[in-house]
Order: sequence, then C-alpha cells, then structure tokens
Amino acid sequence: MAINLRSPSAEIREQRLGTITAWDGPASRLATESAFSRGGCGPGCGGKGQRICELESPFTQGSTCSEQIAESQASNVRDAVLVQHSPIGCAAGHINSNAFFRNGLLRRGLAPRNVTGLSTNLLERDMVYGGAEKLRATIRAAAQRHQPKAVFVATSCATGIIGDDVESVVRDCEEELGLPVVAMYCEGFKSKHWSSGFDALQHGVLRHVVKPEPGPRRDNLVNIIVLWGSDVFTPMLAELGLEANNILTVASVEEIARASEAVASATFCYSVGGYLGAALEQQYGVQEIKAPQPYGFDGTDAWLRALGAATGREELAEAYIAREHARVRPQIERLRERLKGVRGYVAMGAAYAHGVIGVLRELGIEVPGSLVFHHDPVYDSHDARQDSLGHMIDTYGDVEHFSISNRQPYQFYNLLKRSDPDFIIIRHGGLAGLASRLGVPAIALGDASTAIGYQGMIDLGDEIVDALAQRKFHQDLAGHTSLPYKQWWLEQTDPYLLARQAAATQAAE
Amino acid sequence: MAITPLKTRNSGAAPLVPDIAEEGPIEQVRYACALGAMQTVASIPRAIAITHCGPGCADKQCGALAFNNAYQGGGWGGLGVAPSTNATQREVIFGGEDRLRELITHTLDLMEADLFVVLTGCIPDLIGDDVPAVVREFQARGAPVVHAGTGGFRGNNYFGHEVVTRAIIDQFAGPYDGPREAGLVNLWSPIPYQDPFWRGDLVELKRLLEGIGLRVNVLFGPGSAGVAEWRAIPRAQFNLVLSPWLGLATAQHLERQYGQPFLHIAVPPIGGRQTSEFLRQVAGFAGVPEAPAAAFIAAEERDYYGYIEAFSEFYSQYRWGLPARFAAVGDAATTLALSTFAVRQLGLMPACVVVTDNTPAEHRDAVRAAFRSLDHDVSIEPVFAEDSYAVHAAIRAADFGRKPPLIFGTTWERDLAKELRGFILEVGFPASYEVVLSRGYAGYRGALTLIERIYTTAISRSA
Repeated sequence: MAINLRSPSAEIREQRLGTITAWDGPASRLATESAFSRGGCGPGCGGKGQRICELESPFTQGSTCSEQIAESQASNVRDAVLVQHSPIGCAAGHINSNAFFRNGLLRRGLAPRNVTGLSTNLLERDMVYGGAEKLRATIRAAAQRHQPKAVFVATSCATGIIGDDVESVVRDCEEELGLPVVAMYCEGFKSKHWSSGFDALQHGVLRHVVKPEPGPRRDNLVNIIVLWGSDVFTPMLAELGLEANNILTVASVEEIARASEAVASATFCYSVGGYLGAALEQQYGVQEIKAPQPYGFDGTDAWLRALGAATGREELAEAYIAREHARVRPQIERLRERLKGVRGYVAMGAAYAHGVIGVLRELGIEVPGSLVFHHDPVYDSHDARQDSLGHMIDTYGDVEHFSISNRQPYQFYNLLKRSDPDFIIIRHGGLAGLASRLGVPAIALGDASTAIGYQGMIDLGDEIVDALAQRKFHQDLAGHTSLPYKQWWLEQTDPYLLARQAAATQAAE
Repeated sequence: MAITPLKTRNSGAAPLVPDIAEEGPIEQVRYACALGAMQTVASIPRAIAITHCGPGCADKQCGALAFNNAYQGGGWGGLGVAPSTNATQREVIFGGEDRLRELITHTLDLMEADLFVVLTGCIPDLIGDDVPAVVREFQARGAPVVHAGTGGFRGNNYFGHEVVTRAIIDQFAGPYDGPREAGLVNLWSPIPYQDPFWRGDLVELKRLLEGIGLRVNVLFGPGSAGVAEWRAIPRAQFNLVLSPWLGLATAQHLERQYGQPFLHIAVPPIGGRQTSEFLRQVAGFAGVPEAPAAAFIAAEERDYYGYIEAFSEFYSQYRWGLPARFAAVGDAATTLALSTFAVRQLGLMPACVVVTDNTPAEHRDAVRAAFRSLDHDVSIEPVFAEDSYAVHAAIRAADFGRKPPLIFGTTWERDLAKELRGFILEVGFPASYEVVLSRGYAGYRGALTLIERIYTTAISRSA
C-alpha cells in the first residue's frame, strides 16, 4: 500500500504493517503466520483484517515510546536543533541521546559535542490554555540561538491529549524563519511500539527536508539508512565505486536533503530503514535494495549483488565478494573452533536480530532462543525479497524459542532460564542487568555496525570471546544477588503464563 | 593567631543574566519531571514504583537519572523493573483506572517488595483518572501501596521527591501519638539519583551523626533499614533538614503532623571546618552528652588534618598552575556546599554560581543570602536559571582571571570547559562522564575524596 506523504503524520506501524509486540513460539511458525502479509498463505489467510494473535499480558513493566526514538534520532542530526513540545520529563531523554551523539560523532571521526535540544517546558496552566504559543517561541529561540539548518519538533502525550495545533505553528514558523521546521507526530500513547518513532521522523524528513525537486540523479550515491554505528559502509561501497550517504543519525541536513538524488537506498535493518527506503522509491524513483540484510556470508553476498545490479556494478560486486570470502573464511574457521559448543541469545529489534542470529550461526554458535522487541509481518516495500525472518530460517534453520516482548524484565528471566545461554547480545537498556544478575555476560551492541558484512562476523566473534572471559564478573555477582520477583514466578517455566491465563479467562467469559 | 577580618566584598561578577522565568524554554535539561521521583522510591531498599503513564515515561526518567547519570544502578531489582501501565489510546479514550487496578493486582502477586508507590504521569493526570480511589481499594485490604500525583506538567523531580516522601509518610507511616525516642533523628538531605553522590554522602552523614551519639533514620540508600525506618519516622526526636530548601516542606509537615521539631541547616557540610561546626550544632540541638561528641569530633579532625597536612605540600609546591577561581552550576544544595568548601577550605574564589533546580520563589532570598555570606570576606550573587543557554552565557561572562577556571557542573558544561580551557568536575545531573559507586563528597572523608578529584583533574593537563 502506498505511503501517503500528503498526511502530516505517518500511519502507525500496527495499522500499516500489522506490527505485534507479544508472541512466543518457533521462528518458523511466526514466518508462516506472517506469510499473509506477503501474499503467501497463512492460517485464516486473506483480507486486510488479518493479523497475528498476540499474548497480551496484564502485568507490564515500563517499555519505551515513539517519542524517545524520534527524539534520539532527530537530536543527533548534526546541524539541526530539536524542540520537544512537552512537559520537561520528555526531555530527560536528552541525557541518553547525548551519550549516543557524542559517541556517534567519535565513531565517525568527528569531535564529540553536546546535543542541542529545547523543551517547551509545558506546565499546568499550559495544559489548560494550550501550549501553541510556547511552541512558537521555542522554535524561534532555537533558530535565533543556533542558526540551525533545520528544526525538528517532537510532539508528546500531553500535547496530543490537549490537542495543540502543532501543524499550524510549524507551517507558520517554516515560512517565517525560512528553514525546514519538521513536525514529528510521535505521541507515546498512539503506538504500542516505539519503532513507530522511526517512521514519524522519516515521514517528517520526507515532507520537509528531502529535496522535493531533486537535481540530476547521482549515479554513484547510495543512501544507507543507519543508526549511530561506525561507518562500515563507506569502505564497503568504495569497493564498488559507490559513495555511501549515511543518513539520518549523525548526518547533516544537506546529506539528508540529497537523498532524493541518490541512485539507490539500502539499510542495515528493515525495522529502522524500511519506511524511508520505500517512500524514496515511491516518490523519487530512488531504487530500494530488495535483498536479505548484509549479515553473514549469504546475506552479505545477496545484498552486495542486489546493490551491484541496481547500480550497474555487477562485476565489481562479484570481485569484491570473492576477495572478501578468501580473506575472511580462514578467520571465521579459527573463531568457529574457539566458539564450539557455545550458546548465545539475541535480544534486540526485529530485523536486526534476524541478521545477528545469522552471524552467530556462521560462527557455529548455538542459538536456542531469541527475543525481539516487536515483529513486523511485512516491511513497507511489501516485497518478499526483504523477508529477513524467512531468509534467516531458510539459510540457518529454525530458532526454537523465538519470543516477542517489548522489553519486559520479568519475562526475560524465564526466557533466559529456558534457553540457558553462555552470553547474550542485546540492544536497548534495561535487560542486560538482569542477565548479569543471573551470571550471564552481555554484549551491549552500542555500535550497530559491529556485526555487518564480512568483517562484522570477525568483529562480533572477537566481542564474544571477550565477553565470555567476563563471565567471572557476572558469575561472582550471581552468588550475591537477589531478584524482585516472587518465588512462584522464578520457578515458572512459561514466560507468557500471565497472558495465557488472561486469554483463557476472557474466553471463559 | 587571630585572623584579621577583611572587609566584605563582592568577589564575583554581578549577575549579567537576569533570573530566567520558569515558564520559558529549557535547553539541555538539568532535572527530570515529577515522575522522576520513581527513583526516590527506587532509593528505598525493597520498595518498588508502579508507574501509571505512557509507555516511555518510566524508561526516560530512570534511564536519565540512574543510567547516564553516573551509572548509579536502578535500585531494587535494577533498571527497568518498575511496573507500568504503558498507557495507550484505549486508556486515553476510555480512562485508565481498570488498567491500573489490573496492574496493581498482578504487581502484588508477582513482585517481592515491602512497599509499592503508585506514581502518575501526564496521561492519567490529564484525563482525570481517580488514582487515589483505586489505590485505596488495595490499602483497605492491607496492601502496602501508596499513591503520589506526579504528572510531568506539575513540576520537576525535586517537587516529585517531596510529593512521594509526603505520600509515604501520610499513607504508610500514618498517624502516631506515642512517645518519641531521644537520640533518634530523621535525616532529610540529598535528593537520590538527581544528586549522583547521594549514596556516599548519606553513608558519611550517618557515620558522623552516629559518631556524636545519635541514631539515624537515613531513609534512603544502602545505609537504610528500608520501610522499618519509614514507619519509625514519627518516633524520632527531631528532623534534620540538610539543604537550603528541599525537605523543608516535609519537616514542616512532620512538625504539624506529629509535633516533631526540626533543625534546618542550609549548607550540607564538606570539609573539616564545616563538618565540625555542623556536628556541634546538631549535638547542641539534640542535647546529646557533650564530652563523647567532642571527643569524636577531635578524633575526626586529627585524621582529616593529617591528610590535609600531607596535601599541603602539593598545594603549596605544585608549580605548573592550579585553578584559583571557580564556577558552580547545579542545585542550590550542591552549589552552596561546594562553594562554601572551596572558599573556606581551599581559599578559592567564586566567579559564577548558577542555581538550576528551579528553587521555589519563597526560598530564593534565603539561597541568595547564603551565597552572600560564603565566608566573612567572600560573597557572590547567584543566578537562578535552568535553561543551559542562559547558564552558559552567565559562565562565559564571568571573570576567571588569568588561570584556567575550575567548573563544578554537569556534562552540559563539558564543551564549555574546553572552550574556556578550564577543568571540569561533573557534580550534578547529568553526570555522564562520572562512574559513581560509593563515592561522596560530604563530611570529613568526602572532602578528602573531593580534593583528590579536583587536583587529579587539574594536574592532568600535562599528563
């Protein structure tokens, strides 16, 4: 279905893609249940009303919201300023975003500096009289103080409920200030999954920043939709005679603006980059790479071949693939020897997890279970070649305990007990500490580029070797800690028991 | 040798930036919202916050306060354990009371804790959920649950801290008209998590107060006995408020509620002079036996000045330049404590003080007065501002003389310190470039640690 860029806001993921946040079973079953979305047949196949049944639990711990995602990304655009239209608490996220920005700059070889973000600081009387004028004043202050190339505006639960007319203010300010003022409609309560925040930002960028009338097509420029990771794509694409336009995080406004002139778009994770990639193709004919993600031998080969085909560089791609295989294979063999019999657990965003599980399997590591924080049955291209879950299963086999949960520590306890891993690989905060208390070392994959491509297999393997050595710290702790859950829950083997009980009660009623 | 009193003079720059109106925009936040007081709950051993709010609120507050702020750890069970309704469209449209009832029921069933505090975010406070009524249903069944209205638009986490404190006192400790225990004191001092050094400071303050013969309800942190101490609040002989304004409302409330007197000392003590003076004042108020208290103070001073004596060789002979003037940015308690120590113990001069905690209007004059009398010969006019743009303008406008400035500040002053070629110690929220476990700067021992930190940083330029 087409993306509607005339609407001020992106449609949330659960409506657009059928996104779910609570499910448990083998990965192969999830792939089957998702097949309806790609035109294949699943149980109860057919119709727009089709969706995957969820295991909604009556007990939940704090998750994350769309606003946090939109904020963390927009505040990290190098020459833009973020305005958060909210009470002050939403801006507490700055502390986290600042850590990402400083480290993100460092990874790209730039000097670390603080993010620039302003909160409209809405108070009780603004809840009564509205906050639109405060928003106007804050956008002006942001522009006058910092002369940014763009101002991003994030909405909040509070402004969504009181009904501030953000769109009018943003339109006025854009005209008055003569620079893009980008509204991101990302009220936390509107979507049950934070990944809708990626779409809110990308939608705004498409409407306000990307050149609506692009100059001549740049035949060597490829948009790579990334997060804060090290720039592994520039050297990789250089082998094909291509230039990587790394967007949106840590990019400049100009780099984002020229996205409509690129020859193609690709990403390291369809959960993150699917919306922008599909919309750039739909709107500006920028070809979106439709292939498995660039992880492991098989995925990286296919990704590079698709990129070669899209840019007319098939021979360069084949030569590079052959060189890299020859270089990397002996090192992978060495790592496989070293990691024999090791069990790993992957906990992260959906499509990214599919890639990382593949890398672990390339390294000969057993992956009995994995936790993804949500699942998109399909991405915005609706193209089966982007089916990252299917590719993972076809290439590397099933994952027995494939669980979906939007970051619930109480479930994570039983999930880890069930899979009994030697280490975990994790993104997003709040769960690694629990693994530590259970004596399991965690690799907090702050650099999203670590596992990408051929070299990524070696780098991740080295990280795992280091993490396994750190077991001593965690096992020592495990002997001296306790958990804030009742004994009956700690003995419970089904992480989704509460959801199943609730469903049974509802059915009985 | 008598010290000749010098004429009182204003050593620092006059405020070049007027106090920033609290309703203006805030760039680079220096506090969380009222819901951030979920970390006040997390600082009580075996207490759990139940948050009724949007899906990202609890994560933002505890992530900011407990993770990228000195990596303090999330409290009982760790980061991310706090139950949350993760309110969606459904709750916004139909109300969230049923969902909250369901969440509390399952929390009590699943989680191991001695006290649960239900905190609200913007959503229930805007749509008008009757949270007290829901919580009262559980209280009626004897469950240890209290409620606190902490919607983010109501105020910051200093405000929330007092709301939560009050909620536990009123709904959990409850009424009391029995006898009071002589020598038992309730301590109201640093704000947990917002102040990255609260744990270490409380441990030192407890040690000192016990040293002069008192028993302490320290209430928060590793030195606290948890809810037993909160239940014992009404039995204490008196309340000790160790902060220019935070905790004062709580002490006044306790005075009304239980007829408990309180002692208010505005400047948290750092260093030998301050700490000895503080202990004598408390001992006098409490009426503890004089001789053992005096002996304790003498023994502490002997230790303290032994170290200071050794340090003096560095301080007087280090020839490659040490800072002479400082800026202090942070909450009223921290800036006042550090400035007093820097002026009185180290002989440094304040060039700029910015108070960033949105000190309530009725307390600002008292804070100003305290800064005007940092010592008999040193005073400074503090600037009240929370917007970092204004904060940094004030620091840039200050006169640091010809030596590199010393900045007591936050991560937001990192780049500025480079720009001014100065030294920075992150002493307040956010402190993303500090890892703090048990370190504190209060008392005798904290002062020694602080001196180590200041001068290790200052000599690092040639390292």
